[in-house]
Amino acid sequence: MADDEFRQQALQHLDALHNLAVYLTRNGSEAEDLVQETYVRAMRFSHRFQPGTHLRAWLFQILRNTFLTFYRLRERESAISEDGVPEGEAPMFHDAPSRDTESAGAHMDLDRALTRLPEEFKTPLLLAEVEGLALEDVARIMDCPVGTVKSRIFRAKERLRGFLKDYQ
Amino acid sequence: MATEQIDGQEDDGGVGRLLRERLTRHPAPAMLRAAVREALEPRAARQPWWMLWGAPAATAVATALVMLLWIAPSLPSAPGIDPAQLVVRAVLAEHARNIFWGESRSDVVPAALPRAMEESGVALNWVFTGDDDIRLVNAKPTYLEGRRGIELTYQDAEGHTITYVIVPGGTVVLPERGRVQIDRWKPVVRRENGFSLIMWRQQSLLCVMASDLVSDEDLGRFKEYFVKVRSSTEPYMVY
Repeated sequence: MADDEFRQQALQHLDALHNLAVYLTRNGSEAEDLVQETYVRAMRFSHRFQPGTHLRAWLFQILRNTFLTFYRLRERESAISEDGVPEGEAPMFHDAPSRDTESAGAHMDLDRALTRLPEEFKTPLLLAEVEGLALEDVARIMDCPVGTVKSRIFRAKERLRGFLKDYQ
Repeated sequence: MATEQIDGQEDDGGVGRLLRERLTRHPAPAMLRAAVREALEPRAARQPWWMLWGAPAATAVATALVMLLWIAPSLPSAPGIDPAQLVVRAVLAEHARNIFWGESRSDVVPAALPRAMEESGVALNWVFTGDDDIRLVNAKPTYLEGRRGIELTYQDAEGHTITYVIVPGGTVVLPERGRVQIDRWKPVVRRENGFSLIMWRQQSLLCVMASDLVSDEDLGRFKEYFVKVRSSTEPYMVY
């Protein structure tokens, strides 16, 4: 694939990458850094991308690997409660569509609940359910078997349901 | 949609639907979009930096040269620098690069190893590829302080990067100070510039492992990794 074509195609996934970055880092400026770093790496290794394969999944994989390398240590340093759930994290609500109060409340609850999920659960859930990626692609991104992805998504949903009950 | 593939059901209490319909989306801000576009722009399209800074930089270099010529005779001659220390600094720089720019592609290591061995002049009879605690994520030829060698990168389960560099030892002599008994070996262990280092000689090779495992507890773990790597990796010089 020509560089220009690759660049154009890669840019089409900017919003999706930024969305995942925000939920991973829980910090606007770190999310932006993460996305920029992802694109820099993608361009550097564009020769390794196999045309015909899923560019979106490949970019998500780079973003996740970059996140794990740079940001996980910092995440671990944040306050962790006994059940392993980060405390005192303020979810970000920028760019939220303006709706009525009840709907906005539901947004906040969902965002907050999602924030409480560990990365191993959150990423596959977002990739499969929100981004609509095939489980095989999610498995490749997560570097684990499809069965594990299924199980993590199932458990993520279970936990999310439990968290949402807390807010009711 | 992926939901249908998950056990072929949507009986998750509507969590999937809720996520798709209610979860706040965070589209990329305009500034990020512009920054990414700028970063992806072909280099040739950008104005070369020297067009902006060329003249002032040339003037500064010329001034510095004149100053250097003027004061050089009065400078004291620098003492010889320990070659081991030079290698250590180079390994630390390499390790820092690994942390910031290194790839974690364990899937390509089997293919990368033969090439790395061929290009580095250092071959490995045995190599530790990992276990539940750490795994080999990259292998590449390297060039440090005039020494061609091989560089292996490991990552542990917590995301710590461990850089393992093997270069021809030449006349490098490791100091006695800082030697620590670890299992059946006695390498030099030291902390430097916020990193931990373990160095040893193996046949005619100089081996250095660097990591960011610096606290007492972490250093214990680093030593365990050293034992694993040291006991299962057998490098030798091809030429």
